[in-house]
Amino acid sequence: MDMLQFPANIAAAAGVNFAAIMPEVILSVIAMALLLVNVFINSEQKAYLGYLSLIGIVVTFFSVVSGWGAPQSGFNNSVLQDNFSLFFKGTFLVSAFLTILITDQYLKREECNWGEIYPLILFATVGMMLMASGTDLMTIFLGLEVLSVSLYVLAGFNRANLKSNEAGLKYFLLGAFSTGFLLYGMALIYGSTGTTRVAAIASYISQNGMVLSNPMLVAGMLLMAVGFSFKIAAAPFHMWTPDVYEGAPTPMTAFMSVGPKAAGFAAFLRVFIVALPAMKADWSELLWVLAVLTMTVGNITALKQTNIKRMLAYSSIAHAGYVLVGFTAGNAVGTAGVLFYMLSYAFMNIGAFAIIVLVGRKGEENNNVSDYAGFGFKHPVLGMCMSIFLFSLAGIPPAAGFIGKFYLFSGAIQAGYVWLAIIGVLNSAASVYYYLRVMVFMYMKDPTEEFDWLAVSPSLALCLLLSVAGVLIPGIVPGTLLDLAQKAILM
Amino acid sequence: MEQYLFYILAAAMLIATVFAITEKHPVHAIVYLVTSFFALAAIFYLLAAPMIAAFEVIIYAGAVMVLFLFVIMMLDLGHPEKAARPGIGHWLPAMVLGVVIAAAAVTAITLRTTTAPATRVIGIKEFSVALFQRYGVAIEIISMQLLFAVVGALYLGRKR
Repeated sequence: MDMLQFPANIAAAAGVNFAAIMPEVILSVIAMALLLVNVFINSEQKAYLGYLSLIGIVVTFFSVVSGWGAPQSGFNNSVLQDNFSLFFKGTFLVSAFLTILITDQYLKREECNWGEIYPLILFATVGMMLMASGTDLMTIFLGLEVLSVSLYVLAGFNRANLKSNEAGLKYFLLGAFSTGFLLYGMALIYGSTGTTRVAAIASYISQNGMVLSNPMLVAGMLLMAVGFSFKIAAAPFHMWTPDVYEGAPTPMTAFMSVGPKAAGFAAFLRVFIVALPAMKADWSELLWVLAVLTMTVGNITALKQTNIKRMLAYSSIAHAGYVLVGFTAGNAVGTAGVLFYMLSYAFMNIGAFAIIVLVGRKGEENNNVSDYAGFGFKHPVLGMCMSIFLFSLAGIPPAAGFIGKFYLFSGAIQAGYVWLAIIGVLNSAASVYYYLRVMVFMYMKDPTEEFDWLAVSPSLALCLLLSVAGVLIPGIVPGTLLDLAQKAILM
Repeated sequence: MEQYLFYILAAAMLIATVFAITEKHPVHAIVYLVTSFFALAAIFYLLAAPMIAAFEVIIYAGAVMVLFLFVIMMLDLGHPEKAARPGIGHWLPAMVLGVVIAAAAVTAITLRTTTAPATRVIGIKEFSVALFQRYGVAIEIISMQLLFAVVGALYLGRKR
């Protein structure tokens, strides 16, 4: 089964072809326009920037939808807008949209209502899109840098808060370090094959089979795996995750746990499946170990957490592990499962973080699990939403998380990795404990607080509505979305 | 002749780098590092890559070093008595890892079975054409990234 192959019906254009990067162009123009607008408005009006960026995201989304099925390549094949990258671009836009919906209320509460956050979110999204559509190691690397630089600032956006500063600095230092690994790997691959185009790397290797015994190529593959593993927060490269997720402003934590992870997987899949198919036996063994480590470390550490943001940080590590299971399988079912899972993970995780934003108040984030005591009685609708997101994260039907895990694990079984699937299911079972613990507090403990400070703004309500729909609809009727995911990889 | 020059330059580079690491005074360390970069540039020149030699001098010995000096000035690190010399606990792992990396590099070089893809000398014109045409989109991305890096830095550094 050939996945992610260069499309045959392509609108070929070797040189400049803006159709191949249309979503990126639209979004970055809007981001720069917002920077200008930001100068001319006062701090009460900053929410308008949010609305404008939402409009920008919708426009970009239309450009993504209209590109579906009509692959475009351009700039000497350094970008390729195929269905695979379009699916991921849709995922990034969804996560940016949901994030911006919960950002405004948080910023006002924390009195750090600066307009720069919206252009930075949009620009980070541009970086993710470039990572998904890059077919040149150079483009992928630059996309990653665009994404990372914006995220460093976003993680430290709440300047008055020491923890946010710490998160920004930690993310910056470790991120720069891991970028070095990735770049070193890319340089070694370039050195051993003489090209940075992913397709050309594969054809060089297949023409010169002996290059496989070249230690430089193997070292390059390993270093790139390290760099990508850092970005998707896979163990043992996950150490930054809990501190950064805990300290960063909550909406940015939601964004970071979803978008960049999906972008990391997009580039990881593209480079390993398209450029290094000859080493598949080697890298799937490596990914096997990574997947098991990531799931187990994430879940077992999450069991002990009392801070809900830290708990969701470890849970996001565990989820990277489940997705790695589908990647390890390397077949159509598993890879389509990766795409499906990243999209539904965006809905469920950002939805859960939206509730966390609501429960917090100025100076008191209320991040302890015990702060949720009786929350379900005081606010039945919000409690219901949170339960749906937690059920989905735990992988309980009929939520999308269950279907996603089902496809990831069945891909692994079809590829013969039965033990990997068993370890995944056991891990998933263990994870139910810490997700349900929040619900035990919400529904089975007496309320200690009145939760009277809760005010659901219209945009936050919209975010919750979209997230619940995004979790339940693909969970109950997964056919359409799964069909799209399969078309994305097999075209 | 070239061989002797190479060994002299390589020795100078290694010694300067070792001093750059062990030197307590950061400004002195940077001067050693510049020396090492210059020696490396000369080695590139010996390898018939005058352009890379020029880049090495302009970018590393020039821009990057100025940046280092600037940071040292800004953070007021020019007081060696404040800096503690790293103890054996820092040296030992660094040396072990250094030996591992050196061994890996030696293995990689001696075990290579394939020849490197054909290379040829390119001039500045060819380089520029490749940079601004073949990698045109990359240049655009970098320029936008610089813009947003400045926005981010200004935001984080602005007075409250």
